[in-house]
Amino acid sequence: MSGLRFVLRRVALSLVTLWLLSVIVFLGAQVLPGDVGRAILGPLADPRAVAALDHKLGVDRPLLVQYWDWSSHFVTGDMGRSLVYRQPVGPFLAAALANSLKLAAIAFLLVVPLGIFGGVVAAMNVGRALDRIITVTGLSMTVVPEFVSSIVLILIFGVWLEWLPVSASWREGAGAFTQFRHLLLPAVPLVLVLFGYIARMARAGTVEALDADYTRTAVMKGLPFRTVVWRHVLPNALLPTITVIATQMGYLIGGLVVVETVFHYQGIGSLIYNAAKAKDFPMLESGVLMIGVVYTIATLIADVLYSLLNPRIRFGGRE
Amino acid sequence: MKADWKRIDLLRRNASELEADAIEQYLTGNVGRRELLRYGATIGMSGAVLATLGLVPETTPRAQAAPANQTIRAGIEVPASAVDPVTTGDAGGLCMLQQVGEFLCIDGPDLVLRPALATSWKPNAKGDVWTFSLRQGVKFHDGRPMTADDVVATFDRLANPKNASNALSAFKGVLAVGGTRKVDDHTVAFHLDAPNGNFPYYTSSDNYNAIIIPADFKGDYEKSFIGTGPFKLEKYTAKVGASFTRFDGYWGPKALPARTEFTFYQGMQSKVLALQGRQVDIIVPVAVQGGQAILHDPRFQIIRLRSAAHEQVHMRTDMGALRDKRVRRAIALSLDRKGLVAGLFQGLSDLGNDSPFAPVFPSTNTSVPQRTQDIKQAKELLAAAGHAKGVNIKLTTEKYIEIPDYAVLIQNFAKAIGVNITLKVESQSAYYGKAVFGQSDWLDSEMGITDYGHRGVPNVYLAAPLKSDGTWNAAHFKNPTYDRLVASYVAALDLAGQRAVSKEIETLLLDETPVIFGYFYNYLSAAVKGLKGAQPTAMAQLFLQNATLS
Repeated sequence: MSGLRFVLRRVALSLVTLWLLSVIVFLGAQVLPGDVGRAILGPLADPRAVAALDHKLGVDRPLLVQYWDWSSHFVTGDMGRSLVYRQPVGPFLAAALANSLKLAAIAFLLVVPLGIFGGVVAAMNVGRALDRIITVTGLSMTVVPEFVSSIVLILIFGVWLEWLPVSASWREGAGAFTQFRHLLLPAVPLVLVLFGYIARMARAGTVEALDADYTRTAVMKGLPFRTVVWRHVLPNALLPTITVIATQMGYLIGGLVVVETVFHYQGIGSLIYNAAKAKDFPMLESGVLMIGVVYTIATLIADVLYSLLNPRIRFGGRE
Repeated sequence: MKADWKRIDLLRRNASELEADAIEQYLTGNVGRRELLRYGATIGMSGAVLATLGLVPETTPRAQAAPANQTIRAGIEVPASAVDPVTTGDAGGLCMLQQVGEFLCIDGPDLVLRPALATSWKPNAKGDVWTFSLRQGVKFHDGRPMTADDVVATFDRLANPKNASNALSAFKGVLAVGGTRKVDDHTVAFHLDAPNGNFPYYTSSDNYNAIIIPADFKGDYEKSFIGTGPFKLEKYTAKVGASFTRFDGYWGPKALPARTEFTFYQGMQSKVLALQGRQVDIIVPVAVQGGQAILHDPRFQIIRLRSAAHEQVHMRTDMGALRDKRVRRAIALSLDRKGLVAGLFQGLSDLGNDSPFAPVFPSTNTSVPQRTQDIKQAKELLAAAGHAKGVNIKLTTEKYIEIPDYAVLIQNFAKAIGVNITLKVESQSAYYGKAVFGQSDWLDSEMGITDYGHRGVPNVYLAAPLKSDGTWNAAHFKNPTYDRLVASYVAALDLAGQRAVSKEIETLLLDETPVIFGYFYNYLSAAVKGLKGAQPTAMAQLFLQNATLS
């Protein structure tokens, strides 16, 4: 029951967070310069045409009316119609989110084992050459901007060697393997960015756990070193790493505007970016909330995992 | 082709006043072949007349036989909004419209008007009524015939301020609702607000919203993409791409490709990479900034069109130091235009002479001397204006293709004569703001740089940014003589008359210099070597009906 209460409390807190997010995005969108009518018709459009289009789209109504109109529909599952594309927002978001999740999943599956493995190996070799190589390489890759690594990868593997497609978009009806081929190249810049970060956290946690009393006790008990690492070091070492990975989910789902643009991929990051530029409020608001939901779920999963690995915090201080 | 003098004499006797004048101008050497072709097309001179003059063959044979099953793949900019013939105004969207829709006439890459859904057109003596004869036997993609009712409804829809029409700014002072009138099922008369010698361009592909669509069109165009063009819609997915198939009921020669496929790209880089990775056969448009990787790559061909697209550097004629025309002229004289063109465009641009008359326009009077860099004269002008010790000016502009680089270059050129320019480079939406005076950095800034797309005739550039009542008059330039000259230019029906006025306008603008026109850059597209017959226009349209891929 306590576990359920813990989860319910987190869900309730998440709903308040999402509502606040919707208000912040709405107010933030009003600060952006320009208006929807002009964004659609172009900067040199006749003001009469802009006014007519703004009226048709309903963006000349009072702000509170617009917000209430959108939010009251949103809670019933109706995300509204895109002001720019004049089609329901739902299908756009669903397709973009599915694409982003696919790319994030591949990047996640590549970088998490690699990062943790790299960090643990570095920790086991603290101060030695291997530790330095992993740490410095990881750090160097983290600071290379995604657009640089993306273009270099495309030119080498897409244009020069022609091993992989230069675009992440596949033809309709493509199978899982074809989709994977298209997503492999765009996943690599994300792996490069995140590897160093995850490896450093895993290394720090492992170094700390290796130095802990319980590890020393386990070794002195005569347990094989592999067992000590699996049973005592890793569960403790990975706690901060799990938090880091969870906080990166928001970036992996919604923060890939550059990678999506360079690889011509219809993800939710570029969808939101373009909605913000065009002041397409229903698309922007629903997109941001969608990422907020994903981020909240990822954080919730991380919290649950954290509590499973660390019973001391499981029930909110009632250990 | 040789001129047939007997037939020419006969033509002179039977020609209208305008046609006779045009023939005379050509035969006396006042206008060249290209100019006559263009002017003749504008006033509706028939192909037979031009053929008699030895300018065009009587009939134009088609270059290739028709391969049946080719698919041509193009990469274009993602349409910025829902594709709609009334509202669309961006490059990707208007390229989509033109795949299925047709205009009364086509403004080709040489700026010569060619008949499309209209077979001929004639002005009245005053030039304020233009009568168009419509092609017979034209069908929409749903099988219904196209008639004068559809043409009237199309233009009334575009000229109506209640319809959020993107063509409204073009039609302002030119054509109002009710001005388009049906004469019979295949004849339409346009009753203009004022005489206009270039009106056919407003019905052409130059006015990209003017595709003829059925009179009963109610909106939601993406569901039907109805038109009369050589291709009809197969599938459209917003933000992703579109495909079209050959329309077998087309009135003209059937399209050579069985199918075309368009993929939408966000930004230059992904388009270039797609071409390099052979995922598309052609990309439009290509900017020199960002397109360097393919400009000199032997695997690709660059299709280069001279255009009137340019950036206007406005200087407030009613504010601060720039109020004095000597200061404005001094800044214009500090610019090394050849260097600008070489640096920003690798030479793929024409020089500007501080007026909207681009070298590509036949009506441009080339006898007016080209302004060149003259630092000594610029310093003298500044000193005479009382700014020998220098002057501070703020230049505000937008982040758009080469404009930020252009701003820095202007800043550096001006520094050489003692003009210290501080830059404010902002997003396009921040720069344009509400696009009305008092609520727009563009229209309110002391000095600024603004992009203007290509047009087949200079009318729009002459009016909105420079006339005293111009809605885009960022320089706040008010000059009754200029206004009168522009009215004369617009009303002039003959090329000689247009050139006479353009000389006066060019001279006046060089003296006043409210706006610096530094260059008119080329419109570029890139394609794989084996692609032939693809025809982009400087309006971002792409005609693929004659395209073949080897």
